[in-house]
Amino acid sequence: MAAADSPSAALRRDLCSRGIRLAGKMRADVVDLLDAYVEQQGLDASASVAAVEGVPLAAVERWDEQTGTQRLLENLAAYRAFRALLAQMLEEQREQLGEADAGLGRALAAVLLQVSAFTYHLEELLRLESRGIPGEEEEEEDGPPPPPRLSLFEQKLRGLGVLRELAQWAVRSVRDLRQLAKPSPATGAAPGLAESP
Amino acid sequence: MKESRLCSEWDRAKMLPKSNELQKKIIMVSTIGGASEDSEAQRVNVTYSDLTPQVCFKIKERRVEIPIPESSIRVTIKSSGTAFATQEFAIHQKDISFVPVTPHILSLIPDFATSTLNLKWSDNGSVFPYGLHALWQIQILRKEAMEVVTQVTYYSKLTHEDVILSWNWTSDMPLECTSHYVKIRCYINATQYVGPKDWSDWSPAEVIPGKDTEPGGSGVFPLDPVVAVGSDLTFCCVHEEDQRITNMTYGSKSYTMMKLSSRSHAIRVLNASVSNSSGTNVVCRLENGLEGSVVFVGYAPDIPQNLSCETSNFLIIKCTWKPGRPSGLYGERRTKYSLFERTSGKNVSCEVSEVNKDHVCGFPVLPDQKTYDFVLGVSNPIGQAQSSLLVDITQRVHPKTPEKLTVTGNNSTSIQLRWFINGSFAEVRLLCQIEINSSHSERKLHNVSTPGRKSSTYTAQLNALHPDTKYQFRVRCSAADHFWRWSDWSRGVEQTTSEAPPARGPDIWRERSPSGESLIVFWKPLSLSETNGKIVSHEVSCHLLETLLEHKVVFEPSNRTEIKLGKSDCVISVVARNQAGSSPPSRITSVELPSDNVTTDQAVAMGNGINISWDSYPNMTCGYVVKWCHSSGSEPCIVDWQKFPSNTTNAVIKSALFKPGVRYNFSLYGCKSMGYQLLKNVTGYMKELPPKTAPNFIVEETSSDSILVKWEDIPVDECRGFLKGYLLSFAKGEKDALKPRLSESGNPELKVNNITDLTKKSMKILDLQGKTSYQLELQAYTAGGLSPPNSLYVVTKEDSVGLIIAILIPVAVVVLLGVLASIFCYRKREWIKETFYPEIPNPENSKALQFQRNICEGNKTLKTLEMNPCTPNSVEVVETQSTAPKMEDTEMMSPAAETTVPEDGCDSEMENHVVVSYCPPIIEEEISNPPMDEPGGSSQVVYIDIQSMYQPQIKPEEEPAIDLATTAGYKPQMQLSISALKIEGHSPVEEELDKTAGYRPQTNTNAWNMGTPDSPGSVESNNENASFGVHVQLIHDSFYFPQKMMKTLLNLLIQGGPSHTFFRTKQMINSGSSLHMNLPSE
Repeated sequence: MAAADSPSAALRRDLCSRGIRLAGKMRADVVDLLDAYVEQQGLDASASVAAVEGVPLAAVERWDEQTGTQRLLENLAAYRAFRALLAQMLEEQREQLGEADAGLGRALAAVLLQVSAFTYHLEELLRLESRGIPGEEEEEEDGPPPPPRLSLFEQKLRGLGVLRELAQWAVRSVRDLRQLAKPSPATGAAPGLAESP
Repeated sequence: MKESRLCSEWDRAKMLPKSNELQKKIIMVSTIGGASEDSEAQRVNVTYSDLTPQVCFKIKERRVEIPIPESSIRVTIKSSGTAFATQEFAIHQKDISFVPVTPHILSLIPDFATSTLNLKWSDNGSVFPYGLHALWQIQILRKEAMEVVTQVTYYSKLTHEDVILSWNWTSDMPLECTSHYVKIRCYINATQYVGPKDWSDWSPAEVIPGKDTEPGGSGVFPLDPVVAVGSDLTFCCVHEEDQRITNMTYGSKSYTMMKLSSRSHAIRVLNASVSNSSGTNVVCRLENGLEGSVVFVGYAPDIPQNLSCETSNFLIIKCTWKPGRPSGLYGERRTKYSLFERTSGKNVSCEVSEVNKDHVCGFPVLPDQKTYDFVLGVSNPIGQAQSSLLVDITQRVHPKTPEKLTVTGNNSTSIQLRWFINGSFAEVRLLCQIEINSSHSERKLHNVSTPGRKSSTYTAQLNALHPDTKYQFRVRCSAADHFWRWSDWSRGVEQTTSEAPPARGPDIWRERSPSGESLIVFWKPLSLSETNGKIVSHEVSCHLLETLLEHKVVFEPSNRTEIKLGKSDCVISVVARNQAGSSPPSRITSVELPSDNVTTDQAVAMGNGINISWDSYPNMTCGYVVKWCHSSGSEPCIVDWQKFPSNTTNAVIKSALFKPGVRYNFSLYGCKSMGYQLLKNVTGYMKELPPKTAPNFIVEETSSDSILVKWEDIPVDECRGFLKGYLLSFAKGEKDALKPRLSESGNPELKVNNITDLTKKSMKILDLQGKTSYQLELQAYTAGGLSPPNSLYVVTKEDSVGLIIAILIPVAVVVLLGVLASIFCYRKREWIKETFYPEIPNPENSKALQFQRNICEGNKTLKTLEMNPCTPNSVEVVETQSTAPKMEDTEMMSPAAETTVPEDGCDSEMENHVVVSYCPPIIEEEISNPPMDEPGGSSQVVYIDIQSMYQPQIKPEEEPAIDLATTAGYKPQMQLSISALKIEGHSPVEEELDKTAGYRPQTNTNAWNMGTPDSPGSVESNNENASFGVHVQLIHDSFYFPQKMMKTLLNLLIQGGPSHTFFRTKQMINSGSSLHMNLPSE
């Protein structure tokens, strides 16, 4: 049993450490993008933005009581949502700005790529946990209908909210992955997985 | 009472008839409201009659319609009921007002995006005659309070039909901000109606409710508008009733808000400037939220400039233009372009890059259409523009760059090129230009016209190329018939043509070797255009008649060969050979015909070549050859030559190898059928320079008055020009390494001999001084200047005869003069004696002044006084001259000192010089002078040695006036300045002294110093009055005073004398003089 667990644990640790690096880099890039976005869109950096619909919140109660699988599933759901939101932002950006401010578009595309990569990374971790990966199509089918078209100002605010929350999520993901990487019996053994829904 | 009231009411009513159907009827309305609801008792009978029969209406309402009368109508109103009354009046047509029916708003449609209201209503024109003018007054009201925003009048013409009229109004405030109301009324200008005309009543107000009236309506309006730069904008923030606005900003600037309603506030932004690419945010900050809108401010598109259309392949027409000022709008608001072709009606949307400044749009070439009428439409949310162009596409052909350029055929003078052009040019001819570049020649362009084909390959043949030459080719094409533009140049290809035999034989010359046994054959290399390839070798053959005497192959790079010919002659033939073959042969005969009287001329280059001219020689049938060497004298000589036709008589020989200062020897040969004949020689310089070195010269012979100089020729190499002569310079001078050149020394005795006779190699310099050093310099000179000098120093020999003569002649003259003097003296001895030696009286006969007499007599007798029996007297005159008392002393002591004393007191008028010997003072006598004028004063006569005198002090200001020469000792009185004498008072004694003109104090009387306590005299006397003493020292053996003066002085000093005389003496003393007298011991 121990001999069987050892490579799996090592692989998980390796995946976690790589994920931590990826999330760290993503956090740094998102912070830079946030500055550029605020400046380019003429927004007030200190403006408080209400919770953006469709953006999962990074803050959670009883974080330390979560199982590893729960953490991974929440992360996966969040980053899938971010992936969709960032793709939408990128599309809106192209629509509104055309070829102007191509730098912002490139930075947005780069973050989108990192989010996609991190999503894939999370899926790998979930596979390692011998868990089925929730399907995206099902979620989309069951999910709420697409929101009504927003005004340009609302789009700007939503973009700001998405990026801010993504920055928060990057921090949380680092902490989640560190927690996962810990060689504790609770995270490495079946109970953690069994607890998860 | 009731009746009267009713009447009065109807009376008013008659003034308000209404008619909206002209010529039909009028409507009479009573103003008493509510009458129609009255009971039966209020029933009214209205009867009117005009010309027609009387008509009666029984009505309950207070309104009745009756036809409009022609002019007037009479109306009787009877009221039945509780109160009965009858009213009768007449209505005239001119009193009936015409008031149209109130118009009815059919629709009021808002366009929130543009803040525009669209109003529609019917003109109800069917009830009016055709052609009436109608005025419609429309009123816009805003806010709940219905404040009038604007009121406009709309004109229309009635067409006897019901027409729906429409009117648009754009609000300066977004329609969402607050409710907007619209009312309308009309006025029909019925010109034929004689009565008064009036506006209709206002229609009921139609309302467009604002968002502030909607429950839950909120936001910033207008939402995401696009406006032109410079617009004035109004933004409003609609919020919930219970919310409060913090502020509203446009960009980063906060604006003052205007309250529109309890739920709506607005700001006004004037003269909006261009927004950035993501728009300008208009933000409404609420207490618990944020609302916003994004406004894009930009420019309407400019009219496209320089619209131009062309085709490169007859498949697509490419139109380009300059867009002008950027609109400042991006993304979906960017400026959009479309190309519309009027003839075909085809429209193409253009995808234009916003960033790229080159705006290009493609339009497909339509079959069977040559002329295209394009309209380029430009639009963005702010505005639109267009530009049009009519173009015949066959005249706007701009082919694509030719591709695949290759060389397909190649020989020594021609090349075939092939290239491909993508496009369908079947309808036009193509003109292609081939650029030919080579290192040997200038760029050439070769045009080729060819029928166009569809995506085809084209070829061209290039001839007249040069063999063995590397060429670069490239191609461009255009339409041949209607030139529009060249395509870009194709990629270049390189090709070298193959070799061909050299075009001609080399230019040759021959010379006999100095021994005459062999013949040296020279040839010049062919030019690049003549070699046609790389020259490998030259073949030299020698034929005598048909017999080949010798054949040689000389490989490159040698350009000469030697043929052992002996004394015989032959015809030499030279051919150049390359890989492709041999050149035609060049021939020359070795025969050199004898020549007579060959002259040698000189030539100097004029300009850039040396001009050589010769007489015409009619028998020179095959021209002339000028041959020269590129080195002067040294072997081997680099032979060069130039050939000229027989009609030439001069030539300018040019060569890049010619250098200034180098002598070149040219030989002119004439060419006859039999051979070459030397005609003349010419030596020449490209430029004459000064000789490089000085000529060597020596002194061949020297005498006491001449030098013979010989020199040598300067070597030709060092002459550097044609020698014109020599300059021989000479002057006295010692050998000194530091001495400059003679010619530069500026020596006034410098003599220069110019020797222009070049055959002369020596020269004798005459008229020199004996035993004198001379410097000689020799310089050669050419037209270019002087050589450096060569110097020599020569000392001439001594002239002994002259010396002897110079000594002997003066000696002989002296001896002769002595003899003659002796003879003369001897023969005139008596006269001499009387004249020079008269009898002298004995001075001892005088008792008192025996001495003076002796002196006086001594002057005449020139007798030296004997000192031993003499009691020396001395008068020492001590000057106040401070600078040289010792010198004075020395002079006085010196036997050589000469003192001139006027001899007033002497009988003889002659001035005699007395040489006296020095007698030291042996008597010192202090004479006490009784005080007379000055208490305690005493006069002293101190006899002192002159060397013990004190140093007289001279006032500084007087010092410059003192002439050392005149004060350095005793001076005769005659040198006294008159002014000095005048300073002193003229006492009788003084006058007497003046008369006697004898001794006086020194001229600088004011420089004399009176005695001081420090003076030796004072010290010696120990007398406080010593300063007033008179030091008189009569130097007996030094000076001779006139007798009168001496007497006077003695009287003064010994016997006291008159007081004034003493005073005078004191004055003299006070004025700085002291007088020392050595009296005779008498």
